[in-house]
Amino acid sequence: MSAASSVAPNRTRSRLAAIREAAPHPTRWRHIVGYMISVYRREWQGSVFSGFIEPLVVLAGLGIGLGVLVGDKAAEITGGVSYVAYIAPALMASSAMNLATSEAAWPILARVAWVRIYHAIVATPLNAADVMVGAIAFIVGKVAFAAAFFAGVLLITGIATSPTGALGMLAVSVLTAFAFGAPMAAFSVTQKSDQGFAFLFRLIITPLAFFSGTYFPIENLPFAAQVLSWCTPLAHGVALSRSLALGTPVTFVWFHVGALLLWGIGGTIAAIYLFRKRMLK
Amino acid sequence: MGMTNSAAEPTALIRARGLTKVFGARSAVAGIDFEVRDGEFFGFLGPNGAGKTTTMRMIAGVSPRTSGSLEIFGQDPDLHGSEIRARIGVVHQQETLDMELTVRENLLIFGRFFGMDRPSIATRADELLELFQLSDRAKDQVEPLSGGMKRRLSIARSLIASPRVLMLDEPTTGLDPQARHLLWDALQRLKRGGTTIVLTTHYMDEAEQLCDRLVVMDQAKIVAEGSPRQLIVEHASREVLELRFPNGTESIDVKVLEGIGDRYERLAERVIVGCENGEAAHARALEHGLDPESWLVRRSSLEDVFLRLTGRTLDE
Repeated sequence: MSAASSVAPNRTRSRLAAIREAAPHPTRWRHIVGYMISVYRREWQGSVFSGFIEPLVVLAGLGIGLGVLVGDKAAEITGGVSYVAYIAPALMASSAMNLATSEAAWPILARVAWVRIYHAIVATPLNAADVMVGAIAFIVGKVAFAAAFFAGVLLITGIATSPTGALGMLAVSVLTAFAFGAPMAAFSVTQKSDQGFAFLFRLIITPLAFFSGTYFPIENLPFAAQVLSWCTPLAHGVALSRSLALGTPVTFVWFHVGALLLWGIGGTIAAIYLFRKRMLK
Repeated sequence: MGMTNSAAEPTALIRARGLTKVFGARSAVAGIDFEVRDGEFFGFLGPNGAGKTTTMRMIAGVSPRTSGSLEIFGQDPDLHGSEIRARIGVVHQQETLDMELTVRENLLIFGRFFGMDRPSIATRADELLELFQLSDRAKDQVEPLSGGMKRRLSIARSLIASPRVLMLDEPTTGLDPQARHLLWDALQRLKRGGTTIVLTTHYMDEAEQLCDRLVVMDQAKIVAEGSPRQLIVEHASREVLELRFPNGTESIDVKVLEGIGDRYERLAERVIVGCENGEAAHARALEHGLDPESWLVRRSSLEDVFLRLTGRTLDE
């Protein structure tokens, strides 16, 4: 009688082994990050615009253009700072959202359904959980890279009032990327085509920027919308990012950080579960 | 749950007893027993949908079985999947290469997945590129490669960590004859080098050319097992006479068909007669008043074994 057949006497041990089989390995996920960096090295030029230039263009356009329009009234909603300074840190958080969600959309769906390389990867010592953890880690890292550039620009232009604040904003962008990238990955691994993305981006991601305090305070929204807004991650990212940039006291820190972590961790667990379900039939 | 067999040969690398996989109400694999021995070239032969790919997926540890026992290297893939996968190479039916990376990069990243260090990956990658005649394309992107080259790269990639067992799912489907032969040569070289190879195919000639031993699968079950030679001797006659009737075979009298050879199969436009001597059988067919448009005599093949066992041809 061989070890694998004699299940009954060591049921606990088999159960532990089965859990270990499904759980992410402590370090193997890093090979997925390495793989994605290899891919990124080949096509980084394409993502420079969306990751680095676009947020600055939006900032310049809205900050200066809308800033003139808002004029003196800006001070009423911003608490005294210029409109550019008011929306810049918020745009940093919302561009973290944009980059994380798009990185967790097509690149993941393609590897599940089109080029199907994930099918080959789960046939190596890596398991489905390693793949998802690695994919999400890469997304967060890529956003951190772009956010560091953005934070640098804000620091140089004096919009971010202290280096510590800029560093804090970078951390907030990372958390925001995690909070959006992980649930988006969970959605992507269930999709057969990219039609679902159009729906998701138009109906959820793009409008979120308007209802999360990016361009005007959440308090200006009806109460129900405010509640809804705090249920999504972006409002928390914006609130933290703005306080850190302006050097105003950060209130409810753990509420904000906790909400972002909850979305990120919950999203990661969902992504692992759904990816396993898709791959291990 | 067949878990009783303990007298199996110790050299079996893969051993399945009552292996079953159910999807909803459909049994994809319905209680099959088989063993793959160290160093052999083992085949799963059968038409599409027979359960071959599902069996391969269970062996590769990416499809949990519904019931039965399965051991690879003496371990249960549900409990030791990662360790097992570290020692097998898998080539999927559809390409799963990264199209944005170069040929060589595709090999390098997989070496990392198997936990190899960079210098040994580089050495092994160059060795494999050489072996599969891809060295001059090493720095090219994968996308524009021909089907045969992509397939060779997929196999090279699966061999990066020098696996003990190589598993190939329909490796030559969609390849032109020249690319097929090139691939067959490469696989035979690997086998001589000591790699155990498991493949699925619905091509008779492929199974006959490559496999030391094979199982014939049909409708989720194994219907026969043995070497190609054994199977032909056991389940088919020495020669086969094929008679072609473009206008259909329904009108031909059963009595006439029974009188020609040892056995017969009536297909839509062909009658296939198993016999000792094809020429003599053809003469008898003409005596019985049959008037085929064309005819040929050949030695029996695995195709005839399959036809005999299931009453259908493989591409049906």
